Amino acid sequence: MPKVARLHAILWGVFSMGGFIAAFLLPVLIYLVGIAYPLGLWPVANADPTSAILNHHHLGTLFLFVTVAGSLYHGIFRFQSTLTEIGLAPAKRALEAIGYLIIVVGILAVAYYLLLLNPNVLSLP
Amino acid sequence: MSKQKPFPEYRRKLGPGWWLSNGHFTQYMIREWTSFFVAVFSLIYIYELSLFATGAKDSALALMRNPGIIAFNVLALLFTLYHAFTWFYLIGKVQPIRMGKTTSKPWQALLVNIVLLLIIFYAVIQILVLR
Repeated sequence: MPKVARLHAILWGVFSMGGFIAAFLLPVLIYLVGIAYPLGLWPVANADPTSAILNHHHLGTLFLFVTVAGSLYHGIFRFQSTLTEIGLAPAKRALEAIGYLIIVVGILAVAYYLLLLNPNVLSLP
Repeated sequence: MSKQKPFPEYRRKLGPGWWLSNGHFTQYMIREWTSFFVAVFSLIYIYELSLFATGAKDSALALMRNPGIIAFNVLALLFTLYHAFTWFYLIGKVQPIRMGKTTSKPWQALLVNIVLLLIIFYAVIQILVLR
């Protein structure tokens, strides 16, 4: 398989995994932090869900990293392709470059902030 | 030596509104735009994590309670679920399972995956929030 085709296969594979994460894990995160907490709904009432999730050091941190990084990759990857379908096809290369930059910086930022919040996460449970 | 194509390549030019001409195309484009909400929610949450990590927890919580952000989150949840449900249905269409003489229907795949989604939803809450 040519190198470019192999790279494309890997990128689309990660995209597909991100789609799985966005479908099964993202709804629960959106509900907990974005709807249940501010509106005082079950199960968080007035407790902050991010702190509750991070209290479960390894599993909570892993959940947040996988959900946010996977969804970010999936969302940006597909959105830049959507923009090419509504008239921005001539800027395809630039959109791809910006998209991958946001993905890389975003994923590194999630990892960095989660490490700051939970420095012991790299030790064995 | 330059390699010449035997025939000129014909590419039909499409305007930015091509997807409005047909209901299926419109549905496809709505599904594509769900990615906007997925990406923006992820970016907002990364920003919230940055506030948490730098000790500005009150600002992060205030941001979550902002009415505009709540409205966006409700839309994001609806679009994310629309993306998930249409994907579950597509799985059943693309990969039907043969069981004896019958073949599974797309709505069955949709139903099974919605149940799976609810189980994951409850398991995450039970393990990471309520315990």
